[in-house]
Parts: sequence; structure tokens; C-alpha cells
Amino acid sequence: MANITKKVSWSSRGDYSAQGEDTPLLNGDTGAARYTRQLSGGSIFHIGRLSTVDLEEDITTEEDGVLSWPKEIPHNEKLLSLKYESLDYDNSENQLFLEEERRMSYMGFRCLEINRWVVCGLIGFLTGLIACFIDIVVEILAGYKYQVIKKSIVNFTEAGGLCISLILWAVLNSVFVFVGAVIVAFFEPIAAGSGIPQIKCYLNGVKIPRVVRLKTLVVKVCGVICSVVGGLAVGKEGPMIHSGAVVAAGVSQGRSTSLKRDFKIFEYFRRDTEKRDFVSAGAAAGVSAAFGAPVGGVLFSLEEGASFWNQMLTWRIFFASMMSTFTLNFFLSIYHNKPGDLSSPGLINFGRFDSDSVEYNLYEIPIFILMGALGGILGALFNLLNYWLSILRIRYIHRPCLQVMEAILVAAVTATVSFTMIYFSNDCQPLGQDQSEEYPLQLFCADGEYNSMATTFFNTPERSVRSLFHNPPGSFNPLTLGVFTLTYFFLACWTYGLTVSAGVFIPSLLIGAAWGRLFGILLGSISPKDSNTWAGPGKYALIGAAAQLGGIVRMTLSLTVIMVEATGNVTFGLPIMLVLMTAKIVGDYFVEGLYDVHIKLQSVPFLHWEAPATSHSLTAREVMSSPVTSFNRIEKVGNVVDVLSNTTTNHNGFPVVNEFIDNNEPGKICGLILRSQLIVLLKHKVFVERARSRLNQRKLQLKDFRDAYPRFPPIQSIHVSQDERECMMDLTEFMNPTPYTVPQETSLPRVFKLFRALGLRHLVVVDNENRAVGLVTRKDLARYHLGKHGLEELQLAQM
Amino acid sequence: MADVCLLTTDLGGCDGQRRQPPNGTPLFRGPGVQSSFELPDAVPRTLRTSPVSAPVGFRALPVMLSSPLPVTVFVRGTHRRLWAPSHIEAHHPICQNCYIQFGNLKEIYRNISSDQVGPANVSCRDSLLRSDRLMLVFLLYDNLLEIWGWSDCKHCLAVDQHSLTNDTLYYMAILNESLSCFEKHQQQGNHSELCKECKPTYKHLNDLYSRMDVNKTLCIDIEDAMNMTRRLWSKNFNCSFPREETVPVIAVSSFMLFLPIIFYLSSFLHSEQKKRKLIHPKRAKSSNSVANIQDKYS
Repeated sequence: MANITKKVSWSSRGDYSAQGEDTPLLNGDTGAARYTRQLSGGSIFHIGRLSTVDLEEDITTEEDGVLSWPKEIPHNEKLLSLKYESLDYDNSENQLFLEEERRMSYMGFRCLEINRWVVCGLIGFLTGLIACFIDIVVEILAGYKYQVIKKSIVNFTEAGGLCISLILWAVLNSVFVFVGAVIVAFFEPIAAGSGIPQIKCYLNGVKIPRVVRLKTLVVKVCGVICSVVGGLAVGKEGPMIHSGAVVAAGVSQGRSTSLKRDFKIFEYFRRDTEKRDFVSAGAAAGVSAAFGAPVGGVLFSLEEGASFWNQMLTWRIFFASMMSTFTLNFFLSIYHNKPGDLSSPGLINFGRFDSDSVEYNLYEIPIFILMGALGGILGALFNLLNYWLSILRIRYIHRPCLQVMEAILVAAVTATVSFTMIYFSNDCQPLGQDQSEEYPLQLFCADGEYNSMATTFFNTPERSVRSLFHNPPGSFNPLTLGVFTLTYFFLACWTYGLTVSAGVFIPSLLIGAAWGRLFGILLGSISPKDSNTWAGPGKYALIGAAAQLGGIVRMTLSLTVIMVEATGNVTFGLPIMLVLMTAKIVGDYFVEGLYDVHIKLQSVPFLHWEAPATSHSLTAREVMSSPVTSFNRIEKVGNVVDVLSNTTTNHNGFPVVNEFIDNNEPGKICGLILRSQLIVLLKHKVFVERARSRLNQRKLQLKDFRDAYPRFPPIQSIHVSQDERECMMDLTEFMNPTPYTVPQETSLPRVFKLFRALGLRHLVVVDNENRAVGLVTRKDLARYHLGKHGLEELQLAQM
Repeated sequence: MADVCLLTTDLGGCDGQRRQPPNGTPLFRGPGVQSSFELPDAVPRTLRTSPVSAPVGFRALPVMLSSPLPVTVFVRGTHRRLWAPSHIEAHHPICQNCYIQFGNLKEIYRNISSDQVGPANVSCRDSLLRSDRLMLVFLLYDNLLEIWGWSDCKHCLAVDQHSLTNDTLYYMAILNESLSCFEKHQQQGNHSELCKECKPTYKHLNDLYSRMDVNKTLCIDIEDAMNMTRRLWSKNFNCSFPREETVPVIAVSSFMLFLPIIFYLSSFLHSEQKKRKLIHPKRAKSSNSVANIQDKYS
């Protein structure tokens, strides 16, 4: 019984097709049509405005259409995908669980607590290591790339033929991005983008398929290296958060299903509840490694996943964050030949601001707020453009080869635009003593001077941010900054959403820093010459960066702390806070944050903080799915197998009812059992008849359920013979005897609160005789949202 | 510059043997220096009432504070704007001119700060270093050390700090070669001729400079000289590279920019639009519930 993996074929490809039970996979010829009769969703249907007009006719016409063929519509953001499921955050307190708890000693519980700390430490350590790896590889590869291009440009400036440098640059970029895009598009599409939307969903309680797998981590890390080195307008911080989450999910399980290795440790943590807690620690560790902001990391987890929270968990998460910063600093210090110097934190290092360069006064507060508003507007514009682009991408550019081609094109165009900007720039600045530019390009400037445009374009984005923050006043022309802001804005907007793994933090910061600095320079030029009030464009660059980032991602709490920690300047907290607040308010007026836009576009059943405001009139009866497929306490095996194999009703939780009544009449509820539990029961053939025949058979334990977690085999891979189909199963021991139930009249906001606060997956709706009349799941709740015309309902779609 | 050298010589007065500036050392007389010996009023009280009567040369100190000190010129961050004087004559080599005096200064300061007791049983350290609240002597010495540090003079000086390195001398020779070439062709009034003729020597100089930059054997003299020469080359004689290949660059760029348009158009026209199949969930008494809603809202 040590390893179930050996006994059962895990894949659905096994012997199942040979048995001829070829159930169509929800492709909806007969199966899907069966349910269309009940209520046609039609297009989005506005409950708030529902009138009596034409309703009957609507239904009948649609019914005809639907019956012949299921309705197909182009992808839009008002859909819910069927492929997403909830996490089982709620603990199933069945008899096995109680038994295990009884068996466990006091010391056992103490050990568990210690193990949690050990796991968090490991998460922090490994996340820091990954961050360090990414940082160093990017630095080396990008350095090499820029050296080669610089050499070519220097040669060809003298000899003529700069086009060759341009083409070289474009080709180098494209090659890197090609590699990055291929591994993402063909091996693990979920690794595309920054990963923050996915992690946000996971922390919200949605199980995104394959999001926390080892393969995803590998693709993510390689992909982000390729895309940053490939010169795209991207950063490596968002992917770091995803990587941290994957590390957490992997480490806490003490095994890797991909590598088929089981270390036999941390077995207690093999369930969704524990895993989700560790994932939040991993996300925090990722943020902390990316920005050198341990507190910001904790607050990020708090802000994005705060529905299930407790004090000890927060403290553990903080520990993981600290560990990851420490690890990163330690290894980077070794890499920089200063072993033991722990003071250069973070993948992104904004550099220290001298305290006198960020002095601010009361009269500057309105200016900061104005900049915040500007950031909100620009962020909203960014999100809107990116939304249209993403719709186009989902609808038309969905084949992997097309996606790879698009990424290559973007890389080539980015190089071209950068080169053209540098070529035509007349902004020459003298080389300084404390030269921060790693690769100064002279081009047509006088000897001893460098091209100022190249500071921003001919560099990794992160370094560009730093030079915008810290270069002394006068290092940039207003024209240079203006042109740069404009081009980079569109480049970054175009780049986000490509099939490469890359984050949006750094590009946002860069755009913001550029226009912020421009703002500071203009402010200085309109004020009287003798006054020194508006000194320090670096300060305005910082404010602009915060405003732009806040306008795009709309995080407030965590972002403030991250900015404060990354700049190492606490006194600047208030302006940053004000700016982020303004940016959020202004931006939310137009469009949601970028991550929320992408969550919607991926049709994830995401539960927001609260139910839609006007939904109190909706009751559980209208929301729930009905009739319920339920099992008897003692159920026939054949019946169970049939229900589980029915792909049209891909249910996951089944109420267990007391007495057998015919199908039309719901029975009295006495428990709830999950698909995964049933599958494990079937696999182990826990049938009543068998128990009688073989008395010495080992009793099933909770461990057996954990061993199968998280990849429970599909029902098709489980062989049940004809004889066994006639056996009976006793579910009493395994079901959750006290599932949460609500009466039919419960309002939607109430149900919503239960879901959000308890992390429920199934909520049984009962009538006054305690009979299970319906089941509410996450998708039933997530489909209501407040649109322009009142309450709207999203549709379920298969994708 | 002059002040720096003067201070070192004058401080020599502390141990009784006042030195004259060595002959042949280029000493540029700044405006503050000329009156330096005739301003006893400017000497702070602390100095005057010090037990040891202040040596004559030492009185120059407060004057130097009031005169534009070199410190103000070389403040970090601003001095990058000041590197290139427009004439060769305005270039003051620091390391070359002052290293002897600076060596003396260090020697003397070591003397002062040592515990040795001089005549009248008063040690130099107490009477000079600790006599005033500002600790003027120490402050000045410290500033000079800092300037010396910024100038990176130790890179141009031999290990014993008493002579220039061969690299520096070689560099100066090449520099002079370039400058004389400039001078020769400048008189002809034709800059394009100059650009062509002097290019080999200038390039040699530039390469040498880059090599020294990599080796970290640059000091302020070399940097200043190079800056000045580069300035002459690029700004005065206009010998930078011209921007000539605008057309090919524009052609290649517009080709590149054209590609995505083709890509998006073709995928928009030819790629099959992805459709989503709608699934209809089972709902309780659906018609009933719709009726319910209707009741509520009508």
C-alpha cells in the first residue's frame, strides 16, 4: 500500500478506451443538449431589467437553435470557464479524520507546527535561490548581448553600415524570445504572462490547472530569462511571485508527482487547505525576493488572499519572506565578491535615495496628487488598450505557432524602435565620474559624451529605472524623456499578454519614471530660476513610477510598502501612499486593474470581496443548481461509477441522503462526499461485500486519500468489473457528516459571505424538511456581476 | 591649485625651517594668494592667542578659507560639468605639479601630529591641531587629502610617490604629439584637413586612454587632458562621425514595423476565430425562477 502510483494507471489513456466506454467528452452533441431545455442563457441576460416582453418566445427560439447544436460565441470577458474548479479548503470531518486525530499524540501536533515552520523556511530559501539564479543569468546573458551589439555599433559608426547593427540587434532579440516563446507556447501555456493573475485566483480558492507544477516552474524561470534577455519591455518580478508559489506548493508536499519521487515527508500537508496556506507564503517570498521587500510580500499575500487568514499564518509567511530576502542577498553578495554583505536587497534595486534628494514640502502634496491622477488615467488607458489586444489575441492568435511568431515580431520591433530612437536622438551628455550606464553608446555624439537615449533603451529595463531615479539633474533632455515615454508605453502595452513569461511591474515603473522625471524637469523650468524648490527630478521620477504602477495594477497597501522598502526611504511613504490612492480611484473610474482584466478574460470564477450590491433579492433557490445528483448512504457501485463517468454533469460534490427515494424526490441530507473520495474508494474497492469476505483487509485511512492527492485519477482509469458493479458501498465513514447547508430563502450576499469566508466549495440548499434540493458552487455565485445595466449574469462556456 | 602647493610649503614653518617653493615648480598665483601674507586681521583669535606664536606661513590658512578653495570646484557631481576648459592653457595638471609638495605636506602633517615635543616643551600637535574649535589645520589637511583622493593621483605616480609613471609620461608625449598636430593644421584654417591628418595620432591617443581606463591607471591630469583634447576634436574642429545612413536605417526600420501589420491582418483574416461553446447549467424550476424575478421587478 506504500505507493498507489504503481498499482493504478494514473493516466486516462490507460486501458479505458479498450473497454469501449467511450464517453464523449462534453463535446455536446446529445449530452449537452439535454440540459439546454431548462433555461437558455441566451446572451447575457439582465435580471435587473428583465421585462415581460417576449420572454416566452425568446426561450423557444433559442431552444430550437440550441437543440440542434450548442450555441457558439466568440470569446469575451463575460464568460465562465468550466475547466476551473474550487479548492477544497473546507475540512472534511469524517470518521477517518476523527480517528486520525485521536491517534495523534500531543507531540504529533507539536511536530506538525514545527514542520510548518521548516517548510516556510525552505520555501523562502529556495525562492531566494531561484531569484538569485534568474538575476545572475540575466545579468550575464544581457551583458554579453549588449557587449556584442555595442561592439558592432562602434565598428559600424566609423565604417558605415549601421543597418547591420540594427539587424543584429533585432536578430539577437528574436532568437532569445523565440526560445522563450516556444517553451511557453508548446510546453506550458499556463506559464505565460506574469503569473500574478493565476496566483491571485489560486489564493482566491480557484484551482487553476497545472499552475503549481514543477514543469511550470522550469518553463517560467527559463522563459523569463529569455524574455528579459531578449530585450522585451518586461520585468522579471511578476514571474518571481509565481515561482515562489510553485516552490511553496512543491516543497510543502514533500514529493514531486512529475519526477515520481516521494520523500515521505510532510504527508500531513497533502490537502488543499494546507497547500493553499503555503502557496500564500510562497507568493510572499516571491515578492520579497523580487523587490527586497519582506513586509511588502506579506502584505501582498494579505491583500490578494486575505479571505482565509490567521495570525500564526501571517507570522509564518513573514518568516518565509525574510528567509527569501536573506538568501537572495547572501548569494548575491557571494556573486559580487563581497561575501557576507547583506545590504543589497532584491532583484530590483532602486538604489538608495539620499535623504536630501527626496525632501518634500506641504505645497508639493497637491502636485503629487495630480501626478497620481495622471498615473490613474494613463494606467486605465494602458489596461484598456491591453484588453482590446488580449481579446484579439484570444480570438485570432490562439495557435501556438502564431503566438511564437507574434512574440518574435514584438522582439524585433522592440529592437528596431529602440535603435531608431537612439539613432535619431541628438541628446548627448558628458560621461560622468560615477558612471551608472553600463553600456554607454557614443554614436554621433562628441567624444567623451554618450547618447542619452541609449541610457534608457540600450539597457535592461531595471537599470533604466535606476538611472531615471538617480542620474543627476540635467542628464536627460525633456524631448528624450517624452519620446521615450510614448514609445515605451505602447511597447509595454503590446508586450504584456504575449506568450512569454514576463511581468509588467518594471515596464510600468519605467514608463512612470520617465514621465515623472519629465514632469519634474518641466516643473523646474517654469518655476523662478533662483528658487531651488523643485530640485531633484529623481523624486518626481519615483512618484511618477508609483503612480503609473498603481494605475495599472491597482494594488494599494502592498504596493506602498513595496515602494517604500525598495527605495529604502520611509519618509517618502506618505506621498507614495497618496499617489497610489489617487491613481486607484481615478483608474477604477474607467476600467479595472490589469490583473482583474486578465482574470476576467480567462473566464475564471473569481469571487470578489463582496456580492454585487443589488443582489439581495436573489435567493439561494434561484442561484443553486438543481436537481441535485445525490447518493444514498449505502450506494450501489454501478450507480456511483455511472454518475462519475457522466461527463455532461462533471460534478464534484455529492450530497449523501438518508433513504432511497426515486430520482424525482430529493432525500434528507446526512452528509457530503467528494468525487476524489469516491474515486479513491473505488480504486481500493471498499465495498461492503468485500469487507465481509476478507475480514483481515486493511482499513482505509486518511493517508490513502492523501497519497492520491492532488492528481486523483480520472474515473475512466478505474476498472470496475461487471460483478463489482452489483456490490454496495458504505459511504458513512468517508462522507463529511456535517456539510454547510442553507435554507432556500437565503439571499445571495449571505451565501456569498459563507463562500468567501469559509472557502467553501459546495453549499447544500435544503428545504424545510432538510431535503437536499440544490447545490450552490463557486460558479453559481461568480456568474453574477454588476455591469453597466445592473446585475448581469455570465455564461458558462467550455474551453 | 596654487593654494594647495602654497599651503604645503608654508606649513613647513612649523618645524622652524621655512621652505621656499622650489624653483621651477609651476606655481599659479591665485587672487587670494597675493595678499596672503598681509592679512593678520583675518587670523582668528584662537590662533593669535595660541601659546606658540604662529609661524608666518601659517597665517595664510584663514585666507585660503576665504579664497575660492579648490574643494568647491571638485565637489562630486558638479565637477563632471567642469571638465573641459576651452583652452589648453587653462588646464592645470594637479598630480604633475603638486605631487612633490603634497608629499611634503604629508610628511609635515605626520610631524605635527606626532607626539614630539618641540622647544618650550609644547608639542606641535597640541598647539596647532587642538588650538581652535574648528581644528582648522586638520580640516584643511583632510580636505586636501580628499581632493587628492578624488584626483586619483596615485595611479599616475610611481610606487614611491616621487615620480610620474612611465605610462603617464608616454601618454603626455602622445598628447603633445596630437596637440602639435592640431596646432599645425589649425593655422591652415581647414578643419576637414585637420580631421584627416590628425586622426591617426588622435586615435592612438584615444585608444591609449581607453586602455588606461580599463587598467585603472587614469588620474585627473590624464582625464582632464583627454577631455580637453576630445572637446577640441569634436566641438572645435567638428570631427565627430556624421549621421549619414539615415535612408537605409529608415528603410530597414519601416520594413520591420510593417511586419506586425501584415501579421495581424493576415491572422485576422485567415485564422479561424476561436468560438466558445456555451453550456447551460441545470437550474431549479427555471421557468419558475424567471417568473419570480419578473414578479419582483414588474
